[in-house]
This record gives sequence, C-alpha cells and structure tokens, in this order.
Amino acid sequence: MPDLVADNIEKQLGTAQVLCGVSFQLQQREILALLGPSGSGKTTLLRSVAGLERPDAGKIELRGKIVFDADSGFEIPAEQRGLGLVFQSYAIWPHRSVFENVAYGLRLRRARETDIQKRVGEVLERLGLGHLGDRYAHQLSGGQQQRVALARAMVYNPPVLLLDEPLSNLDAKLREDARAWLREIIKQTETSALYVTHDQTEALAIADRILVLDRGRIQQEGPPEQIYAHPASRFAAEFMGSSNRLDGTLAEVVGNRARLTGEGWSLWGELRAEKKAQDAATGLVRVERLRLTDNAGTNHLKMKLRSALYLGERWEYVFYLAGLRIRVWGEERLAEGEYWVSFPETSLWIF
Amino acid sequence: MSRTLRWFAVIGVALVVFGPLGLILYQSFLNEPFFSQSARFSLDAYRYILSDSGFHSAFGTSLVVSFGMTLISVPLGSLLAFLLVRTDLPGKKWLEPWILVPIFLSPVVLAFGYVVAVGPVGFFSLWTKALIGRVPWSLYSLFGMVLIAGLTHVPHTFLYVSSALRSLDPSVEEAARVAGAGPWRIAVTVSLPLVLPSILFSAALIFLLGFELFGLPLVLGDPAGLLVLTTYLYKLTNLLGIPSYHLIAVVALSIVALTFPLVYLQRRMLRTAGRFAVIGGKGQAFRPLPLGALRWPAVAVVVLWLAVTVLLPLVGVALRSLVSSWGEGIKLSEVLTLDHFRELSGYPNLVRGIINTFLIGGVGGALSVIFYAVVALAAHRWQSRWVTFLDYLVMVPRALPGLVVGLAFLWVFLFFKPIAPLRTTLFSLWIAYTVVWLAYGLRLISASLFQVKPELEEAARVTGATQGLVFRDVTLPLIRFGLIGSWLLIFMMYVREYSTGVYLLGPGTEVIGSLIVSLWGTGALDLIAALSVVEVALVGIVLFIALRLGVRLDA
Repeated sequence: MPDLVADNIEKQLGTAQVLCGVSFQLQQREILALLGPSGSGKTTLLRSVAGLERPDAGKIELRGKIVFDADSGFEIPAEQRGLGLVFQSYAIWPHRSVFENVAYGLRLRRARETDIQKRVGEVLERLGLGHLGDRYAHQLSGGQQQRVALARAMVYNPPVLLLDEPLSNLDAKLREDARAWLREIIKQTETSALYVTHDQTEALAIADRILVLDRGRIQQEGPPEQIYAHPASRFAAEFMGSSNRLDGTLAEVVGNRARLTGEGWSLWGELRAEKKAQDAATGLVRVERLRLTDNAGTNHLKMKLRSALYLGERWEYVFYLAGLRIRVWGEERLAEGEYWVSFPETSLWIF
Repeated sequence: MSRTLRWFAVIGVALVVFGPLGLILYQSFLNEPFFSQSARFSLDAYRYILSDSGFHSAFGTSLVVSFGMTLISVPLGSLLAFLLVRTDLPGKKWLEPWILVPIFLSPVVLAFGYVVAVGPVGFFSLWTKALIGRVPWSLYSLFGMVLIAGLTHVPHTFLYVSSALRSLDPSVEEAARVAGAGPWRIAVTVSLPLVLPSILFSAALIFLLGFELFGLPLVLGDPAGLLVLTTYLYKLTNLLGIPSYHLIAVVALSIVALTFPLVYLQRRMLRTAGRFAVIGGKGQAFRPLPLGALRWPAVAVVVLWLAVTVLLPLVGVALRSLVSSWGEGIKLSEVLTLDHFRELSGYPNLVRGIINTFLIGGVGGALSVIFYAVVALAAHRWQSRWVTFLDYLVMVPRALPGLVVGLAFLWVFLFFKPIAPLRTTLFSLWIAYTVVWLAYGLRLISASLFQVKPELEEAARVTGATQGLVFRDVTLPLIRFGLIGSWLLIFMMYVREYSTGVYLLGPGTEVIGSLIVSLWGTGALDLIAALSVVEVALVGIVLFIALRLGVRLDA
C-alpha cells in the first residue's frame, strides 16, 4: 500500500489554475521529488497534501485513509494528518528554544516528559544539534536552522515527511553537503518523503523518483536517470541539465530519425515529437554530449570559436555558425579559430 | 474553542456598536426622553433641530473649522514627514518622537494651555504687552480656533505620510536628484505626488476629526460665542432645563450622518492606497537627501511648529498651576506656589478622578487590549464573510465622537434596567472607552499580527496543534511585545480621553479629562491647571517608558 495517493488534484488561486488534475503515488520509504519551475504548482500541491490548502477537486489518501475528498467535501484538518513539514523559510518559532521547537509535536501528542527528553535528545544528536538545545533561532546559522526544522518535522515519526525547498536558503557550498546528508537521514528514518524543489540537480541527487511539473500538469514521471536521459517532452528536456538549442526546419523524416536544417547547417537527430518534413522544429542537445573532433563527417559542423570561459573543473567554449550558438565543454584552453563540433545523432533530440 | 472565540468576537462587537447607536436612533424618533411615560413616536425633534438657527450656525462653523484645519495640517504635516523621513535634517532622530506628542495630549488641556499662555491675560500675552505695548493676536476668534486645531492635527498627517514615504523606493528620488532637482523640488514633484493617496487619506481623516472636535471649541470658541456641532450638543443639555434627550439624539445623529460617509470614503481610499504601495522598495539603507542651504530653515520650521504646538500650551499649563494668581502688573516670582496641588487633595471627587484615571488607563487599558486581541485573533486567518462584516462593524465607532458614545452608553445603562447598577461604576466608562478606541486598538493589534509569518502558525498546525493551540502557543507569545506596546499606547489614550466621560461623569466615574470639562464651566482655573499637570505627567511618564521600550508610536 502506498503511503500517499493524490488523485486528480485541481486548485485555482485567484484567476490562475495552479493545479490541473495532478495524480501521483508515494510508495513506502520512497523519496519523491516534485520538480518544476516557479509557478508550476509544486508548492501548492505539497500544501494541499499537508492540509494547508484546500484543493477544488480531487482526493488525497494517507496510508489508505482518506484525508481529503472534494466530492464529498470531506477534509481532515492539517493538525490531524500527523505529517511532518519542513518549510522553505524553516519557520522556527523564535520564542522557543531549539529543544522546545522540536519537543512541541511530542507535547501535543501527550508524550511523557522522560520520553520527550529522550526522543528530542536522540533526534538532535542524530542531526548534529546535540549541543544546541538551549539556543534560539537567531543564535543559529542557516544550516543549523534547516536541521532544527527537519528535527521538528520528524521527531514524532510522521508517516510522510514533506519538504518545501528545504535547501534553497543555504549557501551553494553548504547546499551540496546538505544534499547527501539529507538523503542519508531520510533513508535512515525509513519514512517516505515528498520533496519540492526547483533545482534539478538537487532532485536528481536526492530523489528515488521525480515528478516533473509544469503549469499545473505532470510532464513526466520516473527515476532520475530516466528523467535525465529520456525526457518525454521538450519542456522536460530543456528543464533538465544544460542544453543547446537549435531552431530549424525538418528537411527529411525517416522513421524516428530526422534531418534538421538551418542557415548553413544540417544535422541528423532523433525525432521525439509528431512532426513531418518541412515542419519547423527544435533540436536539443546536452552540452556534455558534444565533442570537438579533428575532421569533417556526418553530424560534424565547422564552427568559429567566439569565447572560452574557464570554470575551474572544465572549460566552456562558445561556438558560432551563422545564427547558431553552441556551448561545448572541454579540458583545455583553445586558441582562436575554427573547430569541428560533433553532434552524436542519438543525443540530438528533435521536438 | 476557536469557534466560540470567533462568534464571541462577532456578536460582542455587534452588540457594543449597534446597541448604543440603535438607542440614539430610537430616541431621535420620540418626542420626549425614552424613560418618560408619555414618550410617543414623533418627528418633532427633527423639526425643532432642523429649523433652529443655532444648529445652522453650529453646522456652518463646524464646516469652516474642518476645512480650515485640513488646509493647515495636511501641507504642514506632509512637509514635516518629507523632512524627517527623506532628508538629512539636522537632529531628526531627536526631533521625531516629539512630532507625535500632540496626539497623546488631551485637546482640552492644550486648549486650556493656550488660554493661559496666549489668551487675553495669558503669560505670553502680558509679557508681549509689556514689551511692545499691545497684544498683536486674538485667541478667541474663529481664525485662532482653526489655526490651533490645524497645528495640533499635524501629527495625524505626519503619521500616514511618513509611513508611506518610508516604503517609497529611494531610487525615484535619486533619479530626480541626478536629473538636477533640489530637495524642495524633489518633495513637490516626486516624493509627495507618489504618496498622494496617503496625503488624501489623511486629509479625509482630519476633515472627519474636525466634526468631532470638542475640547478646543469648548474652551476657545465659547468666549467668542462660537458653537460647533459638538458644543451645540453639549449646550443643549442645559438649554431647556429638562433633559432634552430627543433633541440631543437628533444632533448626535446629524454628526454621525456627516462623519459616516467620510469614514466610508477613507476605507475606499485605503484600498487604492494599498495598490499604490507596490512602488515600495526593499528596506535597504539609503542616503538621505542632502538639504544643503535649506538645512537650518527646515529645522526652524520644525522647531517653531513644536514650540507653538507643544511647548507653548504646556508651559502655560505648568506656569498656571504654580501661580496663586495672574494678571497685569503681577510679578511671576512673587506668586509662585504649590498650593494648587495641595488643594486637589481637599476634593474627594478630584482625588477619585486621579485614581480612576490611573485605573481606567492601567487596568481598563489592559482589559481593552485583551478584548481587542480576542477580536483581532478571531478575524486572523479566518476566511469567511463574517470577517468582512467585522471589518465594517469596527469602522462604525470611528464615525462616533467620544461625546456621543459616552452619551449613548449613559442611555444604554438607563434603558436596560438589569445593567443599570453598573452605570455608576468604572465599568460604564470602560466599555464606552473600549468602543471609542476600538478601531485604533484593533489597528495596533493587527499591526503586530501582521508581523507573524503564516509559516510559523502553519508549522504548528502540521505538527498537530488545533487552531486554538496555535493561537496560544505560537501567535500570542509572538505578539506579546506588541500587546505590551499596545497597552502603553491605549493607556495614554485613555488617560487623555475627556469627551467620552462627560455624560457618564458622576460619583464613582470621575476621570481627570471629564472633570476638567465640568470644572471649565465653573471657572476653577487653579484646579484645572493642577489636574492638567497631573494628567500630562501621567502621560509623560508612560510615553517615556514606551519610548525606552522601543514601542513605535506611529503604529
């Protein structure tokens, strides 16, 4: 039995249709990422699960128990759903110490004082906050606050942990550390988690499965590798990773192969949309798939180097060919001039 | 639990607002006081009042006073706001808290202060006469009244315009500077036009307050025979020798008929003002506009206004309380005395008045804050049509002058026999005060509630707390400081309040403000001066504490 089932959730905020019939299931001990740009409805979806928003239509089940059903108007209030929620802003109560922030949920559940001491102590210890119990929010760093928010949400073992962009308020460096650490902690507690983020790297790293949302609809659903390697739509392809975009016209279509042409170039790629010859189309190719080669060949283009940026672990070159602008990654500094760029046919997706 | 709280709030507020108002309405359609056996429904009272030439002239005077004071206080208040918020005015940190002081001073004390300072035989009048041989001004005139009303209402404009200016993105002014505009030009062409909604809002507010003025026209208009609507209403009590409640009710309703549309207009304006606020930038630090050569003239304007509006009347009151007599040819050093303060203790009603004032401010103020907090919490994050209803409900008392509310509650306690014994207790005064300051108090509490980010409450809900527990464990502790600040502000407002208690004044319900009003009729200037000093001192101490605690006076 899945921990969480959302069925055909719709929600309108003002005049905007934020969610247009979203359904998904969260399996036991699974981390599911809701990934999408801002305005995609991912936070509204999470808040609907928490009971902080009331959807206009749909049904939500927690461990087989209905907590919301628009048809019958049935709704269990947020406080009775027993979930844990980590807010983007952490929302640590500034008038309570770290210990009291974390203990609050247990006190509401009328746990015995000795139990509270023990369990809060354990959670704080596990999250590396053992010595900070007496501190207040303003005495903590961003990373510590984030961990207090997590401790508060999981101390009473909620069936599902909800996380709303929990890392977005951290520094870039801290965020990378927290990513691995967060996944480890969630996995240890053996709880399932719904994780909202707009950062694709974060979603890929943390989630077991990703739900790509755009304008209130699910665009694609699957494990990270599949989402990244086999995007189902142009939106998913462009949203994930770092891509080059080639706008042109289809010169010929042979099965699922097609030849895309533009001013002074012509390339073969995989056709991933219902298109026929002479249609306008867009080719997408991930930056890391492109290579520089020494010679001409099929799907090789001779391009002029415009600039080279040193990014530390690699170089990023920008090539031009008429109206085409292509980014390529490489290992070394390049002298000015013209180079052959190879576009592997299976990596050039045409939508 | 929170459900009961919400219904308690809605029903409670509806009762205390509509009860008194309904009674006035009912009384206005009777031909005699409601408790009279022979009272009948009739329009006689309307006929009498609407054809009374005294009413017509009072109406005209009220209109002139409202217009005049608006014309004075809006430009001056806007200018002060610009100078203090946007420019490098020297000493502005030190000047700013003083600007709002007139709000916390009782108008009747201020008016009395002007009388003893610059009246025909005032301290400054006689000193000026000794210097140049004559007194070049006349306090008892329509112009004098309008000028003083205008000057003392400058803080009301300052309040709204300064808060709008604070949220104005400084870069719009910097752009004008770069384009070559001087500070004066920037104020007139950029800053003030951008906060025009707030300026108009404050103009509507001051125009409204003009109709509710009571202390100033009572003290300053009387000697010149000038009556405004409120003083006309007050005089009606004694006019016919018998209680002419039906006539009073009609006059009270005529004031409400004037003020209610203004309150409604303000509400509409506030909505558009909110839309304007979008221009607000981030609260980043910015460099104030350099005034350059205008620095010292600007300081002079502010200091001069403060001297005339605060210093002059307060010095007058203080001096008057310390002299045994005053008139032409008397040397100040020969008449100094502390006798008047000793005299106070000889009058049991005055002693009770001082104690009651302290009680109504301290205990009553605290109870009112609790009541306002309950109402504000009830409406807080409650998505219901009832919140809109509550919103409209709390704006009704704003259209009611304190004098009218006090009168209405007197009638309520006379009308409903079971609660009649409460009339002679401080409770009657407390409930009238609570209604008069309802909108103000709620604004204070909502300002604190506004600071509580919704996630802090949602976090508790998700953790498992019911709405009631969220209030108790998260919302209330977080606004604790705001509540204390509100209490101090309400304390000062209750201590300076004078008109609400006028009709409720009796043994047991004396307060300094209403005692001064009734003493004014007897001409006991010594006692008035001493009482005024006590009141100002009480407000001053609390104001000092509030400022030390960092309470924002401009909430």
